[in-house]
Amino acid sequence: MGRSIALAALFVVAIAAGWWVYTHRTTSAADHITVYYTKLDGSTEVPWTVSLGPARDPQSVAFYAATQAIAGPPAGTDAVRFPPGTHVLGVTINGSTADVDISKEVEGLAGGSFAEGAAFKSLVWTMTGLPGVHITSVTIRVDGARIPTLPGGHFELDEPLTRSSW
Amino acid sequence: MIALSAVFGPVRGAAADLPSFWFAGTRLILAHPVDVGGEVAVSIHDPGLIGFLNRLGATTAWQPGERYVIITTADRRTIAFTIGDARYRVGPSSARAPFAPYIEGGDPYIPFTTLARALFVEPISDGPDVVLQPQLAALDVRQDGPRTIVTLRGATPLRFKKVAETSERVTLAFAGVGSPLPATRQLLTASLSAVEISSSGTTRNPTTTVTFDGAALSIHAMYPSNAPNEVTIAFAPQSISLAGTPIPAEWSGTAVQQPIARAPLPSTAVTPAPLVSAAPLFTPAPLPGQPGFGAPAPSATQGPATMTAVDVVPNDEGAIVRVSLTGPALYDWHRLADNRWYVDFHNVSLSSAPIEQRLDLPAVQSVRVRQLVPGPVPVVRIAFTLNGDRAVRIEPSDDGATITVQNVIETALAVSGSGQIGTVVGAVPSPQPWKFGSPAPPPPGSNPRLIVIDPGHGGSDTGAMHNGLVEKYLTLDIANRLRAILVSRGWLVKMTRDRDVDVVAPNDDARTELQGRCDIANNAGARLFVSIHINSFTSPVLSGTTTYYYKPNDVKFAAAVQRRLISLLGTKDDGVRRENFYVVRHTTMPAVLVEAAFLSNPQDAAKLKNPAFLQNVAEGIADGIADYAGSPTSVPSQSSMSGEE
Repeated sequence: MGRSIALAALFVVAIAAGWWVYTHRTTSAADHITVYYTKLDGSTEVPWTVSLGPARDPQSVAFYAATQAIAGPPAGTDAVRFPPGTHVLGVTINGSTADVDISKEVEGLAGGSFAEGAAFKSLVWTMTGLPGVHITSVTIRVDGARIPTLPGGHFELDEPLTRSSW
Repeated sequence: MIALSAVFGPVRGAAADLPSFWFAGTRLILAHPVDVGGEVAVSIHDPGLIGFLNRLGATTAWQPGERYVIITTADRRTIAFTIGDARYRVGPSSARAPFAPYIEGGDPYIPFTTLARALFVEPISDGPDVVLQPQLAALDVRQDGPRTIVTLRGATPLRFKKVAETSERVTLAFAGVGSPLPATRQLLTASLSAVEISSSGTTRNPTTTVTFDGAALSIHAMYPSNAPNEVTIAFAPQSISLAGTPIPAEWSGTAVQQPIARAPLPSTAVTPAPLVSAAPLFTPAPLPGQPGFGAPAPSATQGPATMTAVDVVPNDEGAIVRVSLTGPALYDWHRLADNRWYVDFHNVSLSSAPIEQRLDLPAVQSVRVRQLVPGPVPVVRIAFTLNGDRAVRIEPSDDGATITVQNVIETALAVSGSGQIGTVVGAVPSPQPWKFGSPAPPPPGSNPRLIVIDPGHGGSDTGAMHNGLVEKYLTLDIANRLRAILVSRGWLVKMTRDRDVDVVAPNDDARTELQGRCDIANNAGARLFVSIHINSFTSPVLSGTTTYYYKPNDVKFAAAVQRRLISLLGTKDDGVRRENFYVVRHTTMPAVLVEAAFLSNPQDAAKLKNPAFLQNVAEGIADGIADYAGSPTSVPSQSSMSGEE
């Protein structure tokens, strides 16, 4: 009798543990992410911390992170920025690659090498350092399309970008 | 859905009870507003909401299936709503909305007035209507040594002007803006005593005035703003300097950083305007018996070309001058401070006597053509006396060149440039034939005396434009100078372009164009590849010189070039940087991409307008090449592989 109670308790614990693992399998424990940017003096990989909203699944965290990286740190921070109006159209995770679709305003980056490289570096470093989300490379779309570089730009966009692209 | 809402949250009601919203003087019509417990739910795809956000410079990010709906404001704050959760974030702060955003009909619905307040727009009841009134919402004061810096922040865009000013007191008015800020704020810093804020006018058309009471013997100036919803004013004791600008007395908006213009140049810069008179003013008689233009250059001992005609066609703008040549030539042009502009055609003889013609046109007074230098390497000069800083363009054509003088004042003029007509032997080798017609490109460096120079952009791609400078012209100018230096040092040089053209085709895609440039170097087995660019940025703050590389075997070359550039140019050293740039990545030999200076920076731009600076860029690159690769004679010849000697 005692044994069957013990077995039943064990069973309940196992179910509870299984439920916990199931519900937490894709959830990030962290409540913040690190967004990287480049300062105007050229120093790169400068981190700033952004609190996450309530959604913590990998897809939501990746979407949140891409939006924050493109918004950049608050106005008044010494940072290289994506052009005004640039926004995220979508983020899709395929395995360990995040495909980030960016609005056409991003083409304004092609005016100068410095900003072009720095802006994409900030995005790639942010996306590849998310807590609980295994992303090692980033592919870029502009207005839905894969392109080799921005029109008139220098930076190559047609292959997945990783932290070792720099 | 309604039943679920009744259990878990406020009930969604009909839109009939909702007030009509007014914003910026007009009714803001929301296509499908929903009353959720007194707050208005609106779809992010509602045209009314989209128009409202556009006016405030905000963008929305969401995709189907996504839980976050994120609005990015013009001042780079993010407002993050979450489907199914009432908590939302505005920048670093967390708050709770009256209801949890939800999906209906595939569209996310978010709380409208909550969002408006986060954008510094306050809903204010005005009879049966609700006026969405932009606010001057924040006043930040910080101390920078003896300076007191005040930033006013509100809804985008802030429109303001100075309405009163004495040495120690200044009043600003903000149009269409109300304010919740307290009427008086005592500061009592060394240079600012107090700030007084008051609003007047109507709910629909308010004005907020802000008066700064400076301390005795203080000065003030406006600082550049960081965002389109900010105005920053600094105060300091008179003994302290303040770098800023006067506060404008006319209605002004805070400047929004704009992407750098990249539009193609107007075609009128190169295409003749309609002619008033088709009759040439003069046409020197062509000499018979000259070799035809465009024939393959026979040898390095090729004789001079002949200038067979100079046709001057005036038009209502200025004049178009067509120069006919019998063969290839290099040219360089210069603008002098006394309104003279001239172009020298090298290795060209004039088939007629010197010509001097008065034109008395609005743009140009006269034109002169003469044999400047006779002998075995003759030079012909064509010179104009202009009426002031008139625009002059020279474009190589199939059989010579076209010079266009426009009746347009140019405020920031390039003072010199150069170009090439046809293929000049000795400077630009013809495409490399590789032995036995092998389809594979020769190994990198198999042509060890050949350096490929890539003048960035060109033709339909202007590159960056700022401060009256156009990247594609500057890169070609520097490239021509570099070519001359390298040729004089015994290198063979090939240019990816030697005039204002696309390397592959006009308006081709980026890969075609950039790969075309790489192919020229790769197929020729060049020893080195140098791409020349001028940097640019959305604000004037950045300056300096950078040499970019990608491959491991680029590193030493890049370091050598950057070291020489910095020692010659007097620009800020922005260092050697690795970037995923197409032309350094897809060339097989050591390659660099030089960004000589920032044309968006006033100091760098002034340097770029000086031919001596452009010459120094070329010298610096050439010296870097020498440091890295030695001299061409120190390189073992492998002519059996390249057919090039």
